Amino acid sequence: MILDFLLQFVAAGLGTVAFSILFFVPAKYYPICGVIGGSGWLICLTLNRYLGLGIEVSSFAATAFVIMCSRIAATKQKCPATLFLISGIFPLVPGTGIYWTVYYMIMGEMDKCSQYGRQTLTVAIAIVLGIIFVFEIPNSLIRKICRK
Amino acid sequence: MDVAMKAGNILLESGAEIFRVEETINRIAKYYGVEDSDSFVLSSGIFITAEGKEKQIYARVKHIPLNAVHLERVAAVNQLSREIEEGKHTVEQARERLEAIEVMKGKKDLARMLASGLGAGCFCYVFGGDFFDAFTAFLAGFLLYCFVVWTEKNGKNMSKIVVNIMGGFLATMFAVLLYKCHLGTNLDYIIIGSIIPLLPGVSFTNAIRDLADGDYIAGTVRMIDALLVTFGIALGVGLMYTIYYKMTGGPML
Repeated sequence: MILDFLLQFVAAGLGTVAFSILFFVPAKYYPICGVIGGSGWLICLTLNRYLGLGIEVSSFAATAFVIMCSRIAATKQKCPATLFLISGIFPLVPGTGIYWTVYYMIMGEMDKCSQYGRQTLTVAIAIVLGIIFVFEIPNSLIRKICRK
Repeated sequence: MDVAMKAGNILLESGAEIFRVEETINRIAKYYGVEDSDSFVLSSGIFITAEGKEKQIYARVKHIPLNAVHLERVAAVNQLSREIEEGKHTVEQARERLEAIEVMKGKKDLARMLASGLGAGCFCYVFGGDFFDAFTAFLAGFLLYCFVVWTEKNGKNMSKIVVNIMGGFLATMFAVLLYKCHLGTNLDYIIIGSIIPLLPGVSFTNAIRDLADGDYIAGTVRMIDALLVTFGIALGVGLMYTIYYKMTGGPML
């Protein structure tokens, strides 16, 4: 299980770095992006699979974590938080949900199609809430956390 | 004022949030002694008016098309605006720096294709595929980005919707073809991995942040952009699947 965890972390982290290359993030920030993306995914996975909190709650928590880290990193490195969070959030985007929705639509299984469609939507909303919540935390508080 | 406009232009083009664009413009304008300036930023245009000390009025409107994301430029302009506020640059120097940022080279095409493949492979593994699937997704993602890079060069007047439908279609096609060559075992996860590089993560995230900041118009436009791209991909995948099952006589509608 530990090995599986590690592999998942590495894969998600590498994927995140790949996306930061696609979005032209400056090379010196790759490691931070990777760590943020990887740990965000681990949190989502742990909460969902091992604690059984459901995909929505896990996505929310993971998004909040990713964005908090991005903001802290941004304050420390003196650069926009966008750099870290756009690629960091990629592992959490419900690409799987979109795929299954279309798949079952083609298969004509409307029950499953709407089930996955609804799940995709709620996950997207959970991510939205996560983003908004953490961005409403005032800058001064983030700076205080950084100073510690 | 031109400098402020240019900075805003680059920021908006490269995928920064609306409030960052406005803030940067106002900061630069203020530092260079423009008394009273006002900027209004939409997702596709910037409007600035300003009044100098001698009651000269400056007004500019600039249209900015939706463009590829280039976060390195965002970071560079951000850095520059900080330095301007610290008083490190004259107007001329700042202008030169901005021009340098504007022509800043992206990564090489091959590097982007490899990155796309890497992203596809990694996420294929993360979402439940095994190593073989990840490798196949790597190939599919790589081929997919060959197409994306090609459209950037040759298909400037192609509708974004068409590009995304074709992207989804081709990603699925590559995945199916490779799967038929007995590479990989779970077709589903291979496809999921290979469409990931197309997903509109940037538009989506920026849309939400704009909406949260109260920039509803820009937020809505970006949200629609994100939704259309997603539907385009979904349509492409669906299309390919339908053809695939027609040809193989698999499960039918």
